[in-house]
Amino acid sequence: MNARFLRRGALFGALALVAFGLAIVAAACNGDDDDDTGTTPIPVATVGKLTILDPWVRTTTNDVTAAYFTVKNSGPADTLVSVKTSISPMAQIHEMVTSGATSSMQEMPNGLDVPANGEVTLKPGGYHVMVMNVKSALKEGDSVDLELTFKNAGTVKLTAHVQKGEAMSGMDMGK
Amino acid sequence: MKFTVRGAVPIALLGLVAVAVVAGAIALGMAVFGGSDDGGKAEYMGAVTSRPVEMPDATLTDQDGKPFNLKQESEGYVTLLYVGYTHCPDICPTHLYNISESLKKLPKDVSSKVKVVFVTADPERDTPEVLKDYLKTFDPNFIGLTGTREQTDTFQEDLGVSVATRTDLGGGNYAVNHAAYVIAFTKDEVAYTVYPAGMGIPEWLNDLPLLVKKGFKPA
Repeated sequence: MNARFLRRGALFGALALVAFGLAIVAAACNGDDDDDTGTTPIPVATVGKLTILDPWVRTTTNDVTAAYFTVKNSGPADTLVSVKTSISPMAQIHEMVTSGATSSMQEMPNGLDVPANGEVTLKPGGYHVMVMNVKSALKEGDSVDLELTFKNAGTVKLTAHVQKGEAMSGMDMGK
Repeated sequence: MKFTVRGAVPIALLGLVAVAVVAGAIALGMAVFGGSDDGGKAEYMGAVTSRPVEMPDATLTDQDGKPFNLKQESEGYVTLLYVGYTHCPDICPTHLYNISESLKKLPKDVSSKVKVVFVTADPERDTPEVLKDYLKTFDPNFIGLTGTREQTDTFQEDLGVSVATRTDLGGGNYAVNHAAYVIAFTKDEVAYTVYPAGMGIPEWLNDLPLLVKKGFKPA
């Protein structure tokens, strides 16, 4: 009992480190685009002052997957309120929240804010569109239609490619 | 009921996270930048646990339906342990993909000494067959463990992580809230480093050779 308690204490200690580590990671990933190494994502769609970049959907192993993309905004603040796709009747905007030692996904019922003259990125371990009850298997090279609706800018349709994981091209592997 | 409470949680959590970040900054400063006689901790990119985590002595059921004793099977290997579920849309496939890609890039004398064990927190859906089909899409050598609800809950308690809970997503779907970091046990069956969301291929390429060849010597 006591040992178990101590071990949990250890992991919470670890999580404090983890929270700090993530803050560093977040800072590193949200730096100026000019500092990014690798290729520049290709814009695939625009609506109003919003540009959608680099959309992708993960290959499926069951009836659940996730969609990711970046929204760049050169205008006033907006909100992504819903996402639709023909591959599923159920797509929800989620965020991952880490509390203590546990991470939970939570639906964002009020949508995802896109800051004025800024951008928001959906990526593994953060914001994502959870797609449930996927009708047929998705494999690498497939494409998926997405329909994003923003509160102010309206609706935009685009095509996302299917891949196994986050593209490595934007990361400098170094060694 | 639980659902409505959850909706109110994020703002409070932000505060908690802010506190954790500050606490983490102080702890990290001591743990990682604490000087040169730290036993080599600074070479690791993984998050160093403030206290080592012991591997639970547990026997669960593997992806072939056979009993699997974690401690026995881990002897002589580095074991990357992760508690997740196959209907996880985001973080589980991300970790598994990152590990599988890293193992492909690493030399055989490192990759052959690493076992990857995925323990389900959703045993109702994740039968041995489901685990097998899921894991082989990443790497057929990955091991999937399941059991009764009691067994998988007890395993998480013994590991020292919060036991997973469910969030209803509607339409018969549910998410499983679970520990979201990979725990790396060295050959002594003790873990000194963990790898949360946000850590991926660069961290594994750096740390796996160290974990295999050097182990981890606490200060």
